[in-house]
Amino acid sequence: MNDKPMQTATHSHSTFIPGPDAAMIDISIDGIELKVAQGTSILDAARQVGVRIPTLCHHDDLCTAGVCRICVVEVEGARTLQASCATPVTQPISVKTNTPKVRSARRHIIDLLLAEHYGDCNTCKRNNNCELQSLAAEYGVDFYRFGHPTEPKYAIDRSSPSIVRDMNKCVLCRRCVRACEELQGVGCLTVASRSSRAHVATFASKPLANVVCINCGQCINHCPTGALTELDQTDEVWTMIEDPTKHVVIQTAPSPRAGMGECFGLEPGTPVTQQLNTALKRVGFDAVFDTNHTADLTIIEEGTELILRLYKALVEKDESVKLPQFTSCSPGWVKYMEHFHTNRLDHLSSAKSPQQMFGSLLKTYYAEKKGVDPADMVVVALMPCTAKKFECNRPEMNSSGFKDVDYGLTTRELAGMIKESGIDLPKLPEAPFDAPFGEASGAGAIFGATGGVMEAALRSVIEMVTGKQVEDFYDHANILPVRGIEGARLAEIPITEVGPVPDLLKHLVPNWDWLKGATLKVGVVHGTANAKQVMEDIEAGGPFSECHFIEFMACPGGCLGGGGQPIPTSPEIRAKRSQAIYQIDANYAVRKSHENPMVLQLYQEFLTDGPCGHISHHHLHTHYQARGKFIG
Amino acid sequence: MLLTGQDNEKAVIKELMKTIGSERSELIPLLLAYQDEFGYVSEFAMQYIADQLKIPANEVYGVATFFHFINKQPKGKFIIRLSRDMSSIMKGAKSVARQLRNDLGIRIGETTPDGMFTLEWTSCIGMNYQAPAMMVNNEVFSNLTPPMVHRIIEECRQEVRTRRPTVGNVGETFSSILSYSSHAPNSALTRAVEEMTPVDVASELTVSGLKGRGGAGFPTGVKWSLASKAEGDVKYIICNADEGEPGTFKDRVLLGKYADLVFEGMTLAGYAVGAREGIVYLRYEYTHLRPHLEAVLEARRQANLLGENILGKDGFCFDIRIHMGAGAYVCGEETALIESLEGRRGEPRNRPPYPVEKGLHGRPTVVNNVETLATASCIIARGVNWFTSIGTERSKGFKLFSVSGDCERPGVYELPWGMTVRQLLELVDGVGAKAVQVGGYTGELVPASQFDRVMGYEDLGIGGSIIVYGQGRDMLEVAENYLEFFVEESCGQCTGCRIGNQKLLDGVRLLQKGTCSNRYLNDLIGLSHSIKSTSKCGLGQASPNVFVAINEHFKEEIMARPVLAA
Repeated sequence: MNDKPMQTATHSHSTFIPGPDAAMIDISIDGIELKVAQGTSILDAARQVGVRIPTLCHHDDLCTAGVCRICVVEVEGARTLQASCATPVTQPISVKTNTPKVRSARRHIIDLLLAEHYGDCNTCKRNNNCELQSLAAEYGVDFYRFGHPTEPKYAIDRSSPSIVRDMNKCVLCRRCVRACEELQGVGCLTVASRSSRAHVATFASKPLANVVCINCGQCINHCPTGALTELDQTDEVWTMIEDPTKHVVIQTAPSPRAGMGECFGLEPGTPVTQQLNTALKRVGFDAVFDTNHTADLTIIEEGTELILRLYKALVEKDESVKLPQFTSCSPGWVKYMEHFHTNRLDHLSSAKSPQQMFGSLLKTYYAEKKGVDPADMVVVALMPCTAKKFECNRPEMNSSGFKDVDYGLTTRELAGMIKESGIDLPKLPEAPFDAPFGEASGAGAIFGATGGVMEAALRSVIEMVTGKQVEDFYDHANILPVRGIEGARLAEIPITEVGPVPDLLKHLVPNWDWLKGATLKVGVVHGTANAKQVMEDIEAGGPFSECHFIEFMACPGGCLGGGGQPIPTSPEIRAKRSQAIYQIDANYAVRKSHENPMVLQLYQEFLTDGPCGHISHHHLHTHYQARGKFIG
Repeated sequence: MLLTGQDNEKAVIKELMKTIGSERSELIPLLLAYQDEFGYVSEFAMQYIADQLKIPANEVYGVATFFHFINKQPKGKFIIRLSRDMSSIMKGAKSVARQLRNDLGIRIGETTPDGMFTLEWTSCIGMNYQAPAMMVNNEVFSNLTPPMVHRIIEECRQEVRTRRPTVGNVGETFSSILSYSSHAPNSALTRAVEEMTPVDVASELTVSGLKGRGGAGFPTGVKWSLASKAEGDVKYIICNADEGEPGTFKDRVLLGKYADLVFEGMTLAGYAVGAREGIVYLRYEYTHLRPHLEAVLEARRQANLLGENILGKDGFCFDIRIHMGAGAYVCGEETALIESLEGRRGEPRNRPPYPVEKGLHGRPTVVNNVETLATASCIIARGVNWFTSIGTERSKGFKLFSVSGDCERPGVYELPWGMTVRQLLELVDGVGAKAVQVGGYTGELVPASQFDRVMGYEDLGIGGSIIVYGQGRDMLEVAENYLEFFVEESCGQCTGCRIGNQKLLDGVRLLQKGTCSNRYLNDLIGLSHSIKSTSKCGLGQASPNVFVAINEHFKEEIMARPVLAA
């Protein structure tokens, strides 16, 4: 079993990463003496000794830009002030971060930004969570010294089903541009023009819906102001909730449970699953379900698809079979493929994402059970993701005969609804998920973290193929080789023994003998920039091309770092959310998808011709569209 | 088979890539060459080029919109670009503009309905001593008067009828470039190759005290020796010929008359540093010089002054190519220039690392001004003692000054460091001036009361552009012109430079209307200091100079405007 990261994240954490053998240099910051590794930025050095330097264009996820200049400090001997984020320590220096010159310069920069910033804090979605607003407060801005715009300069772009761009609020920090390029490798946003006309633009300034955007929302998560927000659908959802003729149900994905608490002042990494159930009922949803059920179902369907592909390739020697198989539950990743790798769309599993599977089941299986007309049913999905809004609007997502999922809400939007309802989430009593689905498995829960889909799949595959318990191979069924934070990693799972084919799969393969002695090679990739590298590796016939199965998640950290999650985000915050997710998994009674009783019941009652059968294909599988990179 | 328009564009791009290259660094040359074919760069072309270079289409869009001379929409067959530097304005550029507007029936920034003419203002085109001047496509016309431009428009129309090309008309520049004209060709290079080690060349320059003539004044020998010590097998020598400082035209004269000397200097640098590749970054406005420069380079290759084993020295290999800019003043800043050479937006980088450690493609890179390189040749040829005997204690040698504005004898002057402004004015017959701009728009505005200040690194040590302002000149008009320039040319990265300069320009306009309060003026002065101290590069660090200067030296004049009705 090895876990060699063959490829690491493409973007550097910061421009200045001192090497392990960097020399230590004596410096002084505001009179505090300290030693730092050569190459450390003044900003990082100051943080080490508790000196807070304000920042705006700096973000821990992104390369240094040094453009806003708010973090300037005085360095003894330097003619001008130095941007502390962009100035590495190369020799002993003495830094002053709090002098009249520095304070005046910072105040001037804030004044100038406010002179261009059109918008009213009270009507802004980022009210009370805006870095510009905080800076203005910190530096005592009490009037608009250099004026304040009274008219918008740009039309608000609401063309995208996921993301709204209001460039009137943009401060040109370029964090969105860098997130799109460095984290996601998409390059949908750029700085266009120059001078005072410089602005963040899409290609040829076209509406976002018409350009190559994967709707991941990382631009939103990294924006310091309200220039980028999700397309807010809470009003529509409120209307549905208030409509007595509508049966409004909500399915909740795992990641919002790990992040929602942050919107209510809880420490990152505080899970709020059961309180959230109570809150959603109080908000007015008629039923609350766990998306983990269809995550479990995804594992069965996608896993079966993989077994079929392997069987065809290895036993039937069918050369048209495409391997490695790619996961398809991240709609940002799927759209990335549709734009950039149209020649490899066949590698994507045809299984729908858990959100869409659930939508289809709710409007068919559940509607019938409940005796509700699916036409009067509204399915809302609580997701950590803005691309899910796009996904539920895809025209082919109507296998129930209706739009399978009506609304995808982000964690942030739902936090707003909960607050608006006067609910103090952390103080709520706990409540279970509603019947008929009830509790799902921990395998579904870890879908939220990078490596989670792979771990969930392996838990089931190992048991189904060997006939033994995963715990016989991995303590507590924690398959550590696929966990981690590297942007792209490989693992090998040798299949040393095989057991009988379980009932669920008997109609598909006669036995497992053909897998005995084989080594299952899997990859785990998160952050689309890493996915881009892995795709290049596959094109070049590198180690990832030898994989059988690769999990791809568009966002850094997986869904828990999704574009719909609470702001701010950082590597530390994502690590805490990840801990929460694995903690949630550990608390489940059932931790393997194929042991989820609801899943088994579905195959008995509804998807009666089994995994990857005709019924399941109709409800749980989909197809993809080659979009390409060129736009008209 | 019928080709669609897009098939045709693809074919052209593929063909261009064969000659120009298909690396990211060739993005700007590709865009310019494509534009030569089609007149502008279409959205499809941007996407196709991006696809071929394996970069997002939007990056190409970002680059294309950064540079002035890359057209994003179709423009006229004749693009008329009238220089709006202060010397041109003083010599009647506005009445020339009026004539052009009347003749063509369009406003500045527009294209005639028949698609024949586009009319634009442009930044300084290096013709200040013969102002006003304009470019028609790549041809330059100087000493313009309204009747002349009327005739030029007619000639352009003729050209279409007769297919006879319109040829530019540039007068002779007065120049007193003694050291360069008496330089024995290639004597420096021969001496270096025969008598000196690479280390000797750099240290001799260090001893000579030569400082960068582009304006920053960094010791040239130190720069060469840092680059020579920097780790890396591939190193670059870049000649910064992006002479964009308004009022400066000495590099154009040097490249026109003494290109050999400049190339000799680059080759010396290559020898000293251990570089094999030299690049001349030539501003787009000097496209008309390119055929001449290419011919000089070819002759040098023929004479084994470039190429393999230069002058028979084993292992001394160096060649020079020309890379065109695309219209961005800020690309005169060395890291912005490097960004542009790499096919990116010309935005200055964070420093450190400095180009001598990590420059072009992350390799050690020397960026030197045209004049610096030519002077280096003279120093190596004639020796340190000759050079240090000229000038002052802290400013060794001589310097070229581009003189324009209100004086009788504008031109390029080779002068020793250490002259006072007054002595210079006597020389060029600009006595009685109200103020002199020393060092271009980023330099200092020197009022008459300070004409005894010395031109040298110890005092007014920046650049070589001298603009003389006579008694009748309106200092607010001067400040407005400068700030319009900086607002236009800011790359837009740093908050202070991007927004602050616009606020200063607005302030000048309030002053012109007589509606700027003393309190607001003080706010703007405070802002000026913050822009200067927080900007990443020299542009923002110097752009507010004029605002501070008019407040300091001409306060009474600027505050005494009658209030204009709204």
